[in-house]
Amino acid sequence: MAKTRRITQLLFLLFFILLFLWARYPYQTAIPSDLFLRFSPLSPLFYFIDNLTIPSFFWPALLILFLTIFLGRFFCGWICPLGTSLDISNRILKSPSNKSSGKWAKLRWLKFGILFLSIILAIFSIHLWGIFDPLAIFTRMTTILFYPALTFLTEGLLALLTKITFAQPVTYAVYDFFKKHLMPESQAFYQGTAGIIGLIIIIFGLERLSRRFWCRNICPAGALFGFFSQFRFYERLVSESCPLCNRCQVECKMNAIPGGKVAETDKVECIECFNCGEKCPPKAKSITFRFRWKPYRSKIDFSRRQFISTSVSGIVTFGLFSVGLKGKQSTAKNIRPPGSLPEDEFLDRCIRCLECVRICSSNGRCLHPTGFDQNILKLWTPLAVMREGYCEYNCNLCGQVCPTDAILPLPLSVKQQTPMGLAYFDKNLCIPFVRNEDCLVCEEHCPTSDKAIKFDIKMATLSDGSSRLVKYPYVVRELCIGCGICEYKCPLPGMPGVFVIRENEKRLSSLPPSI
Amino acid sequence: MKRRDFLKISITGSTGLFILSHPIKSWSAQPDAVIVKGGEPADLLNTALQNYGGIQRFISRGDVVVIKPNIGWDRAPEFAANTNPVLVSELIKVCLNAGAAKVKIFDRTCNTPQRCYQNSQIEAVAKKSGAEIEHVRDFKFKKIALPSGKILKEWLVYQDYLEADKIINVPIAKHHSLSQVTLGLKNLMGVMGGNRGEIHNSFRQKLIDIDAHILPTLTIIDAYRILMRNGPSGGNLNDVQMAKTLIVSSCLVTADFLGLELFNLDLNKVGYIQEAVERGLNKYDLSKLNVKRITIG
Repeated sequence: MAKTRRITQLLFLLFFILLFLWARYPYQTAIPSDLFLRFSPLSPLFYFIDNLTIPSFFWPALLILFLTIFLGRFFCGWICPLGTSLDISNRILKSPSNKSSGKWAKLRWLKFGILFLSIILAIFSIHLWGIFDPLAIFTRMTTILFYPALTFLTEGLLALLTKITFAQPVTYAVYDFFKKHLMPESQAFYQGTAGIIGLIIIIFGLERLSRRFWCRNICPAGALFGFFSQFRFYERLVSESCPLCNRCQVECKMNAIPGGKVAETDKVECIECFNCGEKCPPKAKSITFRFRWKPYRSKIDFSRRQFISTSVSGIVTFGLFSVGLKGKQSTAKNIRPPGSLPEDEFLDRCIRCLECVRICSSNGRCLHPTGFDQNILKLWTPLAVMREGYCEYNCNLCGQVCPTDAILPLPLSVKQQTPMGLAYFDKNLCIPFVRNEDCLVCEEHCPTSDKAIKFDIKMATLSDGSSRLVKYPYVVRELCIGCGICEYKCPLPGMPGVFVIRENEKRLSSLPPSI
Repeated sequence: MKRRDFLKISITGSTGLFILSHPIKSWSAQPDAVIVKGGEPADLLNTALQNYGGIQRFISRGDVVVIKPNIGWDRAPEFAANTNPVLVSELIKVCLNAGAAKVKIFDRTCNTPQRCYQNSQIEAVAKKSGAEIEHVRDFKFKKIALPSGKILKEWLVYQDYLEADKIINVPIAKHHSLSQVTLGLKNLMGVMGGNRGEIHNSFRQKLIDIDAHILPTLTIIDAYRILMRNGPSGGNLNDVQMAKTLIVSSCLVTADFLGLELFNLDLNKVGYIQEAVERGLNKYDLSKLNVKRITIG
């Protein structure tokens, strides 16, 4: 069984990575890439708290939750890509056994605390749970760190190899293969990566304290699954032949076998990895598994005192989030992807998975994660940073991969008429205004079919007394959709002569009826 | 000298001279440019080349040929923002039939490369016709010196372009707000690296600074569909006009000069072509051009 589980884990990991790789232009895939993000049980729970309904597109999570009642936390042991990554990394990080790491069991309640705290905050319409969602974490770290780093190393290495003349045909063949099948986009560089790198270091670093430290003590999805698996029907039985060697207890990934009571299983913690069966000495072979229709119950590690203190701290946290300056000016450039819900709803719905950022990297590459410089409630939500990229006129893919419809899947024709913001010229920087010299790179790239950037032709007097006709650009508010290609392509080296701000953005609450 | 000997020598001599001079004469008898109107892209191309002495004049067996179309924009062919894919496809076949060892196609795009290559349909037809088509790779731009440059003294140009035996520049004729019109001289911006936006101020000098050092073997202006307004990116079919025209010349400046007819523009309105003429980049005297004009169908 343990072997089957390992293969299943790898297959699911591979499947998730493939879905990730397919999330790119032209995105003609049979399986939508956001499918695996909808495996998370937290999304339907918090969607329900917010809207009092559960849409059918959460079917993968609902199916898994239903099976959890019978099978327990099999998702954590068999499917979760973050769990699999931790299992793989453990081969290098080498966690101590439960003999010494067992002491951390006192932190188990923390995951229930985080889940409960998230629920309280969600009732007050603060949705921060996405930061801890394991599937969102996996996508986030792959998008922001692993994939760009891999691209950087691969392309850098191959570019270096092309300098060896006689190896060039081979190098280019390898390069083409990479470009065609694995990394067709150009190198992505994201803003605010430090926070995400910190999160990765924490999650993987905790593995040094105990195996699956994150899953045992912090993961709120694990807590929710644990809540559902208190009575799970699939039970582990230990026969009389057990020599009480304690090996299964010491090696248990989740420390789910109570010390000294090897015959029992903590159903809330067990992730059914079947390592115990494998660890059981071949002579004894005393561990078996089977369904029982009268299951015993394992209690959740969440005392009344913890319950009360979490509730109080939840309300205090809400209070702390609500006081403090909102910073009008700093949000001027908070441009959301086209089709985003109105800001408050958007923040409720976005799970910070950054799948939109991922697919944008194969297009105009304007989307980036918000960092700590903004209101903490906006942490790791997508922002369009137009100086680093632009919104591709013929692209509407971010809405198509959003797992929770925080970005609506707008039809292309609607997206092309949904302004994200408005362009402004900075006449203290823009070349024609400053130097009385033609430029018009912004106008050249403007994609609307009646260009939103137009120009006046005026006679300018130059420093030597001569004069010439110069084209001075300006923006037509009614035509501009704030795609930001003008800001991106502005040839000035640092600060752009034209920039997009949030003004005039159009937020939609639902898909416009039949187009 | 006897009269008989004189006749003998003069006849053989003149015959010999005639025979010897014939190929030279037939060479110089070619027009400076050919303009064909009124057909489909492939017919336009073949008629133009036939009347220009055939592609063999320019392509020899074993040549590595670079075809440089405009693939700059994420637009379908009908919008006349990119070079006509049928024309590109036919040109690839013509070059390969003439014995070209390899035909390479690329363009540094303005929108995302994957989108431009796909939406312009040039990637698909190029592969089908047997050309090598690749997205521009940043590390393949090489710095070249521009000794005659007035403002720019060096710039990055794509390696494959520099290393090609023959180059065929295939722009599409389009409106362009900054420079009035974009034709062959401006199409070469697609092989330039670096911050191309910088070229746009003091445009006429900077563009010609670079162009003067990278002139192509042959220029074929695609004017099957031309973009009259909202160029160079376009996006509105009302701005597109069916001109069904093709201009071919071995002189880039001559081709561009003739392209102005399509837009009813005078040379003095288009600074960068004027600049090219002032610097003497034109092979032929523009006031005495020998242009062969053909209307088919």
